[in-house]
Order: sequence, then C-alpha cells, then structure tokens
Amino acid sequence: MSEADLIRSARFRKEREAGWQRLEALVARAERDGLQRMEFAEARDLAALYRQATTSLAIAREISLDKGLLNYLEALTARAYLSVYAPQERLGGLFRKFFTQGAPQAMRRSWLFIAIGFLCMGLGVLAGYQLFLENSAWYHVFMPPELAGGRGPSSTTEELRRVIYDEDPSASGLGAFATTLFSHNTRIAIFVFGLGVFLCAPAILLTFYNGLMLGAFYALHAERGLGADLGGWLSIHGVTEISAICIACGGGLQLGAAVLFPGSRTRSRALYHAGRDAAKLALVAAVMLIAAALLEGFGRQLIQDITARYALGWGIGLCWLAWFVLGGRVRQ
Amino acid sequence: MKLRWRRNTKPKPPAGELVPPEGVPLKLEVAGLGVRLAAQITDIFLTLIAAICLLILVASLGFSAPETLTAIGSLMFFIIRVPYYVMAELAWNGQTLGKRLMKIKVISHDGKSLSTHALVLRNLMKEAEIFLPATLLLSLDAASPLASGLALGWIAAGLMVPLCNRHRQRLGDLMAGTHVIHQPVPVLLKDLAAQPVRPRAKQDGFVFLAHQLDHYGAFELQTLETLLHAQETGPGKSPRRNQGATIEAVVEKIRQKTGYANRVPAARRLEFLRAFYNAQRAHLEQRQLFGERRKDKHYATDDSQL
Repeated sequence: MSEADLIRSARFRKEREAGWQRLEALVARAERDGLQRMEFAEARDLAALYRQATTSLAIAREISLDKGLLNYLEALTARAYLSVYAPQERLGGLFRKFFTQGAPQAMRRSWLFIAIGFLCMGLGVLAGYQLFLENSAWYHVFMPPELAGGRGPSSTTEELRRVIYDEDPSASGLGAFATTLFSHNTRIAIFVFGLGVFLCAPAILLTFYNGLMLGAFYALHAERGLGADLGGWLSIHGVTEISAICIACGGGLQLGAAVLFPGSRTRSRALYHAGRDAAKLALVAAVMLIAAALLEGFGRQLIQDITARYALGWGIGLCWLAWFVLGGRVRQ
Repeated sequence: MKLRWRRNTKPKPPAGELVPPEGVPLKLEVAGLGVRLAAQITDIFLTLIAAICLLILVASLGFSAPETLTAIGSLMFFIIRVPYYVMAELAWNGQTLGKRLMKIKVISHDGKSLSTHALVLRNLMKEAEIFLPATLLLSLDAASPLASGLALGWIAAGLMVPLCNRHRQRLGDLMAGTHVIHQPVPVLLKDLAAQPVRPRAKQDGFVFLAHQLDHYGAFELQTLETLLHAQETGPGKSPRRNQGATIEAVVEKIRQKTGYANRVPAARRLEFLRAFYNAQRAHLEQRQLFGERRKDKHYATDDSQL
C-alpha cells in the first residue's frame, strides 16, 4: 500500500502522528514529575512539539473531517499548553520578593486609601472621645459587653488600674495567642477588607465604629487620670494592630473604589487591576495582625513598666513605617 | 451623563475557548459548580484532618489549657488551610489534591501562565467568600437570628456570583482573572481512512460517483465515524443481533439516499460503510479545500436562503 493511496488528511495524520505521541508522553511526564526534573532535551522537545501540535491543530481544523483526530489534537494541545505554561517560580524567591519589593511598593502606591483608612479610624476615636465626655452612657452604646471585660463607667479607678497592670498570668502563652488572634480585631480586619468590595460603605462604617469604641474606652480611662497608663497598655500591641485594621480598610476601599469608579474599564476588569495591590495590603495586614497577637499574648504580661511599653509599641510601629517607606526602592 | 448599563456590542468568543500566546484558540471546557464543590469538600476534609492531628499533638504535649483548645483548633485549621491552597496550586499548576481527584484545573483567563498573585488572591478571597461566613454561621446560635440571616445571605450572594457569568467565576476568580476547567484527556482513535478499501479487482469493490456523494455533510460523516469506531472497539457491549439490524438500516438508508443500485450482501455491509466513509470524507475534504464547508445535509438549503 503506497502513501499516495491515502486521502490527504490521512497522509497528514500519518506524517505527524509519531510527534504527537512523543508529545503526549512528554506531557504526561511533565505533569507527573514537573518541568524542573526533566532533562534539557526533553524540556526543549516539549516546547517545540507543543508548537508543532498547535500548528497541526490549526491545519487539521481546516483540512480534516476526522472527528477522532480533531478531538485528540484539541485535548493534546490543551494539555501540552497547560504544562508548557505552568508557573515556574520558586517558593523561597516568592517570599523574598514579597517582603523586599512587592509589599512596600504596593503600600506606597495605595497611600491615599490607607490614609483614608487611618482618617476613618481617627475621626471615630475623636467622636467617641467627645461623646463619652458629654455623656458617659454612650459607653454602653458603643462597647459590646464581652469586649469591655467588665470595665465601664461604674467600675472604680482601682479596678481599671488592676486590669492594666496586673493581669492573670495564667492566661498567657499559646492559648492566649490563639484567642487574641481570633478575637475582635482580627475579625474586624477581615470584615473590613472583605466588605470593602460592597461599594466601600461597610468598610468605612466598621472602621469608624471601631474608632468610636476605642475613643470611648480611652475617654473612660482619661477621665480617671489613667490616660497615659492605658496608652502604654494599648500601644504595646495596638500600634501594630490598629494600623493593620486601617491598612485592611485601605485595601477594602481600593476594591470598593474600583467597583464604584471603574473609569474606562469594565467593572470586573477594574476589580482585577485593583486586586493586585489590595491583595498585598491584605497580606501585610495579616502579617501585622500575627505580630500583634504575639505581642499581646506574650509581651503585655511580661512588660509592666509604662515607658518600656511605650518604647516597644511605638518602636515596632516605627519599624513597620520604615519598611513601608524605605523598602523596595530601586536605585537609579 | 446618561446612566445606563454599558452594553458590549462586540461578539464574545465562546465560553470554553482560550487563546494561548501561540494564537490558536483551544477548547477548554469550563468546570461546573458541582464538581468544584466536590473538590472543595475533599480539600476541606484533608485540611481538617491535618488540623485535628496537629491539635491532638499540641494537646498531648500539654501546651495549653483545655478551655482554649477550640481557639487553638480553629487557629490550626486556619494556619494549615490558607497556605495549603496557595502552595498546592502553585506546585501542581493550578490543582489542589481535591482538584486533582476531580480532574479539574485553574487556568489563567488571558491565556498566559498562572501568576502567584492570581493564586494568592483567589484563595484569599475564598476565605472572605466562604470560610468567614461559614464560621460565623457555625459559631452563631439561634439567639441572634439577624446575624445568622446575614451570614446566610452573604454565603448565598457569594454562591450566586458564579451563576451569573459564563466562566463560572467566583468573586475571587473575577479579581484574579482565572477560571476553572475540566482537564482534557487526549485519546487517539484509529484513523478509519488509514487503510484504504481498495478493490483487488475493479468490479469487486464499491465505487461511488461524485453526484452520489453530494447528499451528506460533515455532521453525517462524523456520525458514521462514531458508529464505525463503536463497531471496532466494543462489539460485545450490545446484543449482536440488534447491532446487525442497526448496520443494515444505515446501509439501506445510505443506498436509498445516494441511489446506489447494487445490493449489499450481509457479510460485506461493514466493508461497504467503510468504503462509503472513505469516499465521502475524501469528497467533503476536497470541497472544503475549495472553500465550501458542508456542515450537514442541509447545506444546500442554507445556501439558497442566504
């Protein structure tokens, strides 16, 4: 039987079939072992054969009516495409790149949204403080009872002081770390970020409300002359934690702004673009929250001196700031 | 400024199509919600088991008081879960263990390779979309129906998003520019035209004239191909007699339609069909080369209507 007896598309298939089968074997190997473990010649052949197969597919669509062949080529090229264009990055390099470049650059790019986040929180604190001074009954409106831990306008100054300086030492360690991480503030941060997509409003409201609570809480202590002491107690982890909430708020706002004002793009396209930085902000906030939980779980009971508390809290705050401002700058 | 929905007037490519950098569109079938849910449940089970093992380890080492065990447990689940999805999808090119089991895969919407950013984003949003409201729902009791309703509504809204677009993208997929596909399986069937049914002697074989081949299009040809492949691979599957009847009916139909005068003896029916397939395919492919695609047997009426 000579070649010329065959119809054109059958000859086309016969000439190329060996290459396709080799590609199929290479793809199976690439999927099982990964491209990194393949030999140079194999990896080179995979890429070359994949390109040949796409050409074959394009031709076959034009000249062949063999459904079996068309289905096979469709599936084979799709499979080969997926393994040729697999992500090639290494995990270690990713972490380094995120911490040295990606995160600080994203923070600087979206400074406006983060500033709005801090502004919401700050206004909340101010409003809460003023409202409490006007009428201390506001405290019960803002503060959920389980968060106050029994502290309120009715408790004595001595009780308040005891909570700040002399906590039950048994509540420290891993258990405290876990409970504080899943406590109020982390939940707020996740909410604030996730709800930002819904047109910004929930994120702004939640951050503001969080500020209100903080303001009222501070006013309660400031009225008794414990303002500075509470500042120390809060700042050891609060500087990190509250900044994390504001940054998460910034990320959420960025997403919400993309939905509200997509500009010349479509909304989903705008969301995709905004997501690039917003995801990094969320990761930064997560890192900061974990650091804050560590500080709260271990640091707050160990360090009782007020100046040391201030120094540690704000020193770590400065470190964050230095990372955001100085990290990832490219020298010209 | 007029407020109205922007309508995209450009015709969109079909949902299951993706254009790789080589420029030849590939068909990649979009995975449905059921199979994705199954993969998700598998993954949750796996991570949950890992978290429980770790929790038992921590508890047996006596690091913690029993009352904080729930908090530590949820922390373990969280700490294992979040990196698991990202790392697995990075290492296995868009597949977690559950997705591997279900043979589905995450791919990038624009035809380029999956970026780390996309994988991190789609899996972080999974936290916000599914796990957060789910934990809320589980931790809330019947005493706060409003909050439970809110959490339920949140989950429902999150699940509605994939139903509203063609690529079945979650909110996280939309942001990351990814979607989930069925992994295609390449199976190479034998080429029916690889062995030409050549007459040993001229009067012995089946010969079709050009006008006899003008009745059918590509659809009929490919249906015949499927039938012939089924004859080859699995003759034992259906009762023998029934199959013979089908073949006979097909042969008679083709003879009637094409006006093939000679009777076909029962023993040579398959041979006749193969010969007809070869001749028809050669004819149609030749027409196609000249720019005339015959989609099915109604091609002539389609032309006259246009």
